[in-house]
Amino acid sequence: MIGLYAIALGAPPELTGARGEPLRVLRCGELELVHGEVPLPLSAEALRAHEAAVRRIAEGALACLPARFGCCAEDEAALSQLIEPRQVELAEALRLVRGREQMTLRVHGARAAPPAAGGPGTRYLEQRRRAMILPELDPLRSALANLVRAERVEGHADVASVYHLIDRGGAAAYQRAVEGIQLDGLRVAVSGPWPAWSFAPEIEP
Amino acid sequence: MNGRKRAGAEEIIERADASLLEIIDHVLNKGVMLQGEVILGVAGVDLVYLRLNALLCASDRVLPARDRK
Repeated sequence: MIGLYAIALGAPPELTGARGEPLRVLRCGELELVHGEVPLPLSAEALRAHEAAVRRIAEGALACLPARFGCCAEDEAALSQLIEPRQVELAEALRLVRGREQMTLRVHGARAAPPAAGGPGTRYLEQRRRAMILPELDPLRSALANLVRAERVEGHADVASVYHLIDRGGAAAYQRAVEGIQLDGLRVAVSGPWPAWSFAPEIEP
Repeated sequence: MNGRKRAGAEEIIERADASLLEIIDHVLNKGVMLQGEVILGVAGVDLVYLRLNALLCASDRVLPARDRK
């Protein structure tokens, strides 16, 4: 069994995995599949080690799509088989993240009440729409417009996550812009820069 | 899914700090993938977000100093 760490472009040499093992690169068309030994048993330390290994790849590569913890294949042939049908999609995702990194916002606070107009169906759809795009964050979006290259939003019961792709080296400016904005009734926590975790297509064995 | 893995995932969530929760969300996202086996609803997204939410409410550690007053 082998464990996938990332799909990259221009991966740096002499990478090490979560176990300290040397990582290998398997070419699949223009994609570089960076893999090593099977993941450590699940633990906080194993997750940190996986994240650190992916970070080392992302920092040295032109572009890097992180693989989630635990993405495994039987051998290189099986890994190729898993990735090959998705080459076009993955190459496109690599182009999006090239030269970029991710910032993550956790947004906590009451959402603005949906407008009273319309029937229950309309109100429900409006609620769903607002959860997906979080219009409350528009002032923040304006402040970040020059920095953000792509956005993904995930709404949950009380916490929404907003993932932004920014140019490498832009994290400090991004952080300053976030801290300079007050949002009515919302608390925003920012973290990053991260490898582009939330812009990588899911690979499931 | 088995009991031992469930305990492992729950233990991680219980002991999580802010940076570990960030790592859990990024590195695991949708459920725990362990050697090709997908365990959903153990370290499920909802559980992670529940803890994240509690943490963001209860602790100012992850907020900029200006917001702590």
